[in-house]
Amino acid sequence: MASTEPAAEPPVAGSEAPDRPSDEAILQQQNQIRAEQAKVSEYVGQEENLGALKAEYENGNQNFVQKIGKLEERYRTFRRTRGDGNCFFRGFIYAYLEGLLQNSDLAEANRFMSVVQSWKAKLVEGGFQELVFEDAMELLLEQVKEVTKASDQFAQEKLLVNMRDDMVSNMIVMFLRLVTSCEVQRREDFFFPFILGMYDEPPATVELFCQRHVEPMGEESDHLHIVAVTEALQIPVRVVYLDSSGLPAGGGGGGAGALEASCHDFVPDSCPPGTAPRVHLLYRPGHYDILYAKSG
Amino acid sequence: MASKRIQKELQDLQKDPPTSCSAGPAGDDLFHWQATIMGPSDSPYAGGVFFVNIMFPPDYPFKPPKVTFQTKVYHPNVNSQGSICLDILKDQWSPALTISKVLLSICSLLTDPNPDDPLVPEIAHIYKTDRRRYEETAREWTRKYAMG
Repeated sequence: MASTEPAAEPPVAGSEAPDRPSDEAILQQQNQIRAEQAKVSEYVGQEENLGALKAEYENGNQNFVQKIGKLEERYRTFRRTRGDGNCFFRGFIYAYLEGLLQNSDLAEANRFMSVVQSWKAKLVEGGFQELVFEDAMELLLEQVKEVTKASDQFAQEKLLVNMRDDMVSNMIVMFLRLVTSCEVQRREDFFFPFILGMYDEPPATVELFCQRHVEPMGEESDHLHIVAVTEALQIPVRVVYLDSSGLPAGGGGGGAGALEASCHDFVPDSCPPGTAPRVHLLYRPGHYDILYAKSG
Repeated sequence: MASKRIQKELQDLQKDPPTSCSAGPAGDDLFHWQATIMGPSDSPYAGGVFFVNIMFPPDYPFKPPKVTFQTKVYHPNVNSQGSICLDILKDQWSPALTISKVLLSICSLLTDPNPDDPLVPEIAHIYKTDRRRYEETAREWTRKYAMG
């Protein structure tokens, strides 16, 4: 029988690569993991004392405990975000909107809204179809308008409810991802060397990097994402890096209490150096939460 | 919000349809579409019309649509159930993608199979070692299942 006869048809099922679960099974498992996480934590949690953070490490690595102790001098509370790969973007925008609300900062809100609106043309120019981002952009602008109306407890609760809502919260995260992707691609000469340094086998182009590591929901954010989004929206951010590292060996001196979490300020080019951060985030390897500085 | 987005994609497809595909709701359910893909002329699928089933998840566009061939296709990345092995339908899905872009990617996949990430290893093996036999079989299947 000739090999081109339908007998060449592969036998039904069973003939697929044996060790590989089906795509559906993989997606289903992903969804299940995410659903379980959803039960444990909201997209954005409640404000908690740093003591609650310290308690996580009481019986573990004491370097954490020391560093958190030091952190308490500058920060009063923190707020957890869900570890779903979107924690940086979600924490960043929540903290920013909350800051606008608490400071009733109308000038900054107006600046932000016009920057957001300016991304419409840039996104279209970057090849993003309007239909994929226009609703998300509107939702973000609505949130800004909302938080500038009132700064009472009710407004605060409303922001929290909205940012815990699957649709609103994820649309806004998506919009930030597209803006980040577009910013990275607009300045590819600047960003490409960093991308090359991030991977053993780096994506061949900046566009590919963005399609794989910026645009998909749940892709974790790196230093580069933060540089891009803070530049794109001109919002200065401070990230406090909390990890288990101790003092460098042979670093000499520095008795107890010298151990401190390191900070990195992301100050957009348009802001003068030393501009106070509008958003403070706590980074622990693989995850971002929100930090609240002590006032004054 | 998912239905609003799907509605927008539908309008966009009607206004500016891709040359080699068409798509729209299969019936009254906006979340269930049927699409057709014309076999690319530079592939052994040329001349065939392939029916594709599209199911949108309730949280579209945060999750990818489920896209499967209804027409039998002899291809390393399409199995006997019509499942398609394509990165943008899995972990590489992004809300910036649309059904229109997905269909165009499927067209590209028909022209350029990805035998290194096969769904049907036997076909991938033939594709890699005996390209003529692969093309003959794919043409045979196209005649048999995707024409008339």
